[in-house]
Amino acid sequence: MRDSMVFDRMTLAVAVILAALPVLLPSASLAGEILIFAMAALACNLLLGYGGLLSFGQGLFFGVGSYLSALAMIHGGAGLLSALLIAMAAGAAVATLVGAMSIRRTGIYFVMLTLAFSQMGYFLAYTLSDWTGGDNGLLDVPRPDLTLFGVTLVPLGNPYAFYTFIAVLFFIVFVGAKRLIGSPFGSTLVAIRENENRALAVGYDTRHFKLLAFTLSGMVTALAGALYGMLINFVPLSNIELSMSDNIVIMTIIGGTGSLLGPLLGAGAMVILGEVLSDIWPRWMLLLGVGLILIVMFLRGGLWGGVEALAARFGLQRAAKEERP
Amino acid sequence: MSGDMLLETSDLMLAYGGFHAVDGVDLCVRAGTIHSVIGPNGAGKTSLFHCLTGGRKPTSGRILFDGRDITAEPPQGRVGLGMARSFQVTSLFQNLSVFENLRLAAQGRDGDRSLVFWRSVTSGKAHREQAEQVMERLGLAARARHAAGDLSHGQQRVLEVGMALCAKPKLLLLDEPTSGMGIDDIPVMTGLIAELGRDHTIMLIEHNMGIVMSISDRVTVMSRGRILVEGTPEMVRADERVRSAYLGEAA
Repeated sequence: MRDSMVFDRMTLAVAVILAALPVLLPSASLAGEILIFAMAALACNLLLGYGGLLSFGQGLFFGVGSYLSALAMIHGGAGLLSALLIAMAAGAAVATLVGAMSIRRTGIYFVMLTLAFSQMGYFLAYTLSDWTGGDNGLLDVPRPDLTLFGVTLVPLGNPYAFYTFIAVLFFIVFVGAKRLIGSPFGSTLVAIRENENRALAVGYDTRHFKLLAFTLSGMVTALAGALYGMLINFVPLSNIELSMSDNIVIMTIIGGTGSLLGPLLGAGAMVILGEVLSDIWPRWMLLLGVGLILIVMFLRGGLWGGVEALAARFGLQRAAKEERP
Repeated sequence: MSGDMLLETSDLMLAYGGFHAVDGVDLCVRAGTIHSVIGPNGAGKTSLFHCLTGGRKPTSGRILFDGRDITAEPPQGRVGLGMARSFQVTSLFQNLSVFENLRLAAQGRDGDRSLVFWRSVTSGKAHREQAEQVMERLGLAARARHAAGDLSHGQQRVLEVGMALCAKPKLLLLDEPTSGMGIDDIPVMTGLIAELGRDHTIMLIEHNMGIVMSISDRVTVMSRGRILVEGTPEMVRADERVRSAYLGEAA
């Protein structure tokens, strides 16, 4: 079966995009930023696109990853890999907690609970300014070299080296996500999105599935948050703000919910537009609003949906269909 | 209790405030039979069904399934024990294919074992085969790749029953399987139920008594939350009390 292959066309396309990004874009940092947000959007899509769960807790998980990895490096002398692992563990733990409380409710109440947790996280970070730097952000976040048992494998000071590191992690996350979507767990998530009552009736304890989706989503989002801190050597308070949750959700929707490549498109579009337009016009977010409205009204599948529709028109349905499990 | 009773309720009661929707029901479903529960509107059939599937917790009384007390078991837990249900109002995964609907239903019996996220669904060969088999049996194989929502209403009702079948249940609980079906489709459904009855125990809830008489081994008539009459279809048909319960309903 095509689905079970790791190196199918879609995975190959991602590999090509990862290789081309730093060449096509003006800087490797910009390319790295896109991948970091694409990673966060992919994790958001697991909840929103596959599980049908609109979570505004994503910024909280992102921020937790940023702060904890940075603090572990600054105060605990943690290396690169251990800092990332700490971030992932913390993100998974916080997401499990938020998920466990939030999934007790459905619909709008569920969304409001994730929002409330997100706000709590923000004010906690704001209050604990001795640790987080509060409004000023956490400064001088290091970007250690990739070492294993005290041996330096790859120095990451060079922006291209760090981009490559991010790209490798993104690729691993992408292949993992693809695997997950095609698994019994992934198919059950889709079933819950489609009809939770029926999913219960055929034997799934849907709470367990939603909870695992939260745990995994939080883990990957925190990884993205940790990488972001290392990329810009700084953790701004905005990393844990509600607007971070907004941005991640918006990128996911613009890219296309329920698709694996959508998050990459959504993050790419938003980061590049932000970079280009913010130089020309500081109120560029206004245009983003217009774009979001257009996509929600006319392009329900997001940018990836548009690509699929184009591919179908030019007789490439098979390539586009591969995306769907 | 006798050995071949698959499902037994004792003094089952479900009250909404002061109103007793189910009012002391002792029901026994014998293994290997088709057992219909009929009754006029408001007789408590659906409330009884909710208690059996776990959708509602009975106010008092007990439910024994296969010799085990399942009164407090949640709906999803009952599937693993061998109890599967269909819905009165069609409840499918509308945007997923017919095959995927059935495969998900087959996979559901595994419960939390489906939390594996590192293995491909193609490794769940048993679920795929079960889905294929049920699809053949229901005559839906030609529509395997179509979205469930694109099927005709009659076919959706058949798929609804098929999803319950995928769990390989000891007991099939069918809630008005012919509801909303056209007059031409109803014989298809009753024929299917009769055929399934050969190798399954089936309990079905039905409003229209005419439909179930030909296929049931046993019929329970409910009225106002209680069992009015129970017996073979012939006995029930001849019973004066049943006629008067349905009177004014023109059923």
